[in-house]
This record gives sequence, structure tokens and C-alpha cells, in this order.
Amino acid sequence: MTQPTNSRLSAFFSSNRAALLTLLALILLPFIVGMMDGESPMMVFANESGNSKFAQGLAIEIFILALYALSFDLIFGITGMLSFGHSMFFGVGAYLTGISIKTFGLSLPATLGLVFIAAIVQAILFGLVLPRVKGITFALVTLGLGSVFHIVVMSSELGPYTGADVGLQGVIVPAFISPANERLRFYFIALTILILVYLLYKRFVDSPTGRVCVAIRENEGRARMLGYNTFYFKLAALTLSSLTAALAGFMHTLYQPIVSPNIANMGFTVTALLIILIGGVGTLSGALVGAVVYRLLDFGLRRYIGESASFISGAVYVLFVLFIPFGIVGTWKMKSLQIKQGWQRLQKLFG
Amino acid sequence: MTMTTEIILETQNIRKQFGALVAVDDVSIKVRKNSLHAIIGPNGAGKTTFFNLLSGNLEPTSGKVIYKGRDITHQPVHRTIHFGIGRSFQITNIFPNLTVFENIRLASQALGSDNFKFWQASSHFKKYEERAWHVIETVGLKERAQTLARTLPHGDQRKLELGMILAPDPEVLLLDEPTAGMASEQVPELIALIQGIQKQGNKTVMLVEHNMNVVMSVSDAITVMHQGMVLAEGTPAEIAANKEVQTAYLGGLYELNV
Repeated sequence: MTQPTNSRLSAFFSSNRAALLTLLALILLPFIVGMMDGESPMMVFANESGNSKFAQGLAIEIFILALYALSFDLIFGITGMLSFGHSMFFGVGAYLTGISIKTFGLSLPATLGLVFIAAIVQAILFGLVLPRVKGITFALVTLGLGSVFHIVVMSSELGPYTGADVGLQGVIVPAFISPANERLRFYFIALTILILVYLLYKRFVDSPTGRVCVAIRENEGRARMLGYNTFYFKLAALTLSSLTAALAGFMHTLYQPIVSPNIANMGFTVTALLIILIGGVGTLSGALVGAVVYRLLDFGLRRYIGESASFISGAVYVLFVLFIPFGIVGTWKMKSLQIKQGWQRLQKLFG
Repeated sequence: MTMTTEIILETQNIRKQFGALVAVDDVSIKVRKNSLHAIIGPNGAGKTTFFNLLSGNLEPTSGKVIYKGRDITHQPVHRTIHFGIGRSFQITNIFPNLTVFENIRLASQALGSDNFKFWQASSHFKKYEERAWHVIETVGLKERAQTLARTLPHGDQRKLELGMILAPDPEVLLLDEPTAGMASEQVPELIALIQGIQKQGNKTVMLVEHNMNVVMSVSDAITVMHQGMVLAEGTPAEIAANKEVQTAYLGGLYELNV
């Protein structure tokens, strides 16, 4: 009985080696960075200031960005709907979290529940326009919806709640996940959430529902002709995406803990687009890789170049699109497939 | 082959107008169950538009489509296959970046009740995979099952197109020029395949086809369309002998060899 279990386990390890090694590295990251800085693991556990704590903070931001980019990849890369209002999905989660805690003093679970309900409502709102518009029109309508949201949060009438152009400040985060005092705990919670959502996405894309979403991206007319009412599949993808982005917004507010109106504007949608272009559109894991590259590049350039960083990063993205149009993961997959096929041909040649 | 006089699909005075152009003008036809019914006519006669009206891709300006006694004229296009009507396209219409297997698996999954089980892997649902393999073998694409649809040669894409409508096992097959663009030596193979499916599976096939030899040899009934209207209807022999058809369409080019 142990034999098949063992072999299945070893098969699992060998086929997921890269993913498992990355996971191990991420679990050890705070301690390795700490040791390089001369901090003992005990000091890391105590959340003492230092490079480790700083690295954890950067990693948490990357995890949140990765969640957000994943949610965009689901509707754009997998289902083929280009939404320019995606920052609204994130913004609703972020603002609602801040307002619920600060203005209404709600508990964390109640806040999260409220955020999820709002996420479903906004997915349905986007879904309402779905049957009527496609392609570029959908992009423009969602751009409009997103802009309305940005104007609303910036309005002075709502200033007491959203902080208008100053942003939402002074959110009191519960002590047990305080990003200042319990950062290591926050780090592991964020890492766990990211892994769980990623696995859920993997499964979704591989499920009967996700397969139809891919078919819609490939040829929606044919998917309808096959008997699929594509509206419901697009709505399913939008809902899952909206829930994920709102969750990312929720974590963003808890971590920062301020909400800048910049996360509700068009530029933040472009951030999601850039991340999956860097990582590879429609690959899911590309969203994770892209988030790492995007955030580290941004951080590195700002630190070493300063003012002109955004100019340089813009140039880097143009080069990316020109030379690696399928993104890091997309290109990697293609090349490794070609290399595999090459070996097979070579083996055939020599019998 | 058992051929009944039962009518499975009919149109009543169906008409489709695009602006000033009347593409399909007052067409009423009756398709008998288990028959192979061909629609012929010169380019621009309205054959494909007529198919689009039958399959729900277009809504008629007026008139009705009746399937098994039920009015399906204004049903949305994704319902068509649920009634039992499958439709293939003249211009290959597939999922280009998916494998042949996945194209056909998606076609077999559509009518099942597992479409929204997003928590389970699609490989968990063996019945769709088995159905897909069965269809892939029927259309002769087994060797190509794992290649991407867009990389298939044209002839194989036509077979895939056929496979995608066979997968859900519809009662009526609307085939819009299934041999379009195929190398002529591949045509008899595909036609034999279609005939086999029709006879063994007791299917009703409606066929738009330009190859007159094919049409004359396989059809039970032929409708000739011309400028959006029905010019003539009858058995292959009647059509070949019809003077009007001779002048309007066949133009004396077709030598009757029955």
C-alpha cells in the first residue's frame, strides 16, 4: 500500500519541483535576509527593524500586486475581455475596507464579508453591459465605469469617508496583524492567501467552466454555436476576478494602511496590464513572475536613479513588448516546448 | 435506409432583408426526417443566409422556422444545438489555439450538466473525453489529436469542423459546404463519411454543396435557390431534367450521368 503512495508523492515532487523550491525559498526568505544582515531568527520573529522586515514589506506588496494581476489575467488573458476599469475592482475593496474599519468600526471578518458582497455586486454591474458590448466597446464602457468610480472617491462630498484627493488615512488595523508590529505574521498570511488563490485559479482554468472561458477568448461565436450561453461564463470569470481584486484591495488597505486615490485611476489598470505583459498573458504564473519583476524594477530604479525612474521603466516595458511579446513565462513555455520537440526529432533521426 | 414522410424541419415563407437587399425571399421548404437534402444555387443565391436563419445565427425579417412542430424562429443561437440541430461553417470556424482534442471535447461537454463545476478538473469528466475520442476516430484525426487546430492542413480542419458538430450527436446536421477548399482527391472520402454518418446514425443532413457530381449522387432531395428564391425542388433526376434549372444555374455545363 505504501509503494503507490510513495511513487505518487515522488511524482508530485518531481513534476512540481520549481514551484515547491520557490515556495520553500519564500518561507525561508525573511530568515535568510535576516541572517545576511546579522539578525538571528529570533530577532526576525520579534519583528525587529532591519533588512528582513524591509524585505518582508516589499514581498507583501508584491503578493498583493500578484493577486491583483492574477485577477486581471483571468478576465483578459483567459477569457479575452479587455477591461479598462479593473482598478475599480481593486479600489472598491481598498476603500470599503478603510471606510468600514475607520468610519463604522466594523470587525475584520464583517469588513471582509462586506467587501466580498460589494465585489459580487460590481461584477454583476460590469456583467450587465456584457451581452451588449464586445471587444473595444467593452474596453471603453469599463473605462467609463472605472472613471466614474475615480471621480466619486475624489469628490469633496464624500471627503469625510474617502478622504477625497488626500486619500483615506488613519485606518486602525487590528493589533494581531499590524503591519508594523506583526509583519512576519502578515507576510505569511499574505503568502498563504496568494498560494490558495493561485491554486484556485489553476483549477478554475482547468475546469469545465474555465475551458469554456478559454474557448470564448479563442472564438466566442463558435462557443455560442456549440451551445454555450457565453454570458454566464463571462459573468463567472468576472465575479471570481472581482472577488480576487477586492481581496487584494482589502489587504492593501490593511498593509499600508492608507488608501491613495491613485489606486482607483486608469494608471493602476495599466499596472495590471503591464504586469501580465511582462509575465505572459493568459499563463496565470506570469502574473506572479510579472509582479516580482515589476515591483523590483520600480523599486531598484527609484532607489538608484531617482527622478527619471518612470522614464526608464517605460523604456524597459517598450523593450519587453518588442522583444519578449509573450512575456517571461509565455516565452519560457514556448521555448521549452520547442526544445523538447527538437530532442524528439533528434531521437527519431538516430532511431 | 428507412425514409419516412415525416417532416423534421421546415421553413414557412422565411425572408431576410439587409437594407434594400433581399437575401432570402419567401422560402418555404420541408425537410423529411432521415433524408439528405441538398441546397444548391449559384454564388449569392442566399444559401448561407438561409442556413444562418435555420441555425439561429440570423433572425429572419419575417416567416418561421419550425423544428419538430415547434416554432424556433426567435430562439438564441446557443439553443440551436440543444434542440438537436448542429451546424458547420463554410469558412472554417474552430478554436485555433486549442488542440484538436480540446476543440472536440468542448463540443461534447456543451450539452452536459457539468459546465459550471469550476472546482473540478475537466479531466475528471471522462464521458466527454471518451465521446471526444470516439468522434476523433470517426472523422479520422486520431494521429492529430494533440496538435493545435490552427496548424492543421485545411482538409483536416474541415474534418475537425465536422467532428465539432458530430460530438453532441445532433439529429439534424446543417453542413455549409463541408468540402470547401479541399483538395479534390479528399472530397470523396469526406462525402462517404457524411453519408455513412447519415445512414448509420439515422440523421437528417442538409447540405450546401457546389460539386454537382457529389450533389446528384448522394442527395435524396434537392432545393435549387436563385436570387434568394426557390427555383425548383425535387429528386436529383427531376432537378437535372428541369429546363429552368438548366438555364438559370446548370447552364448546360452539367452532363447528367444517371
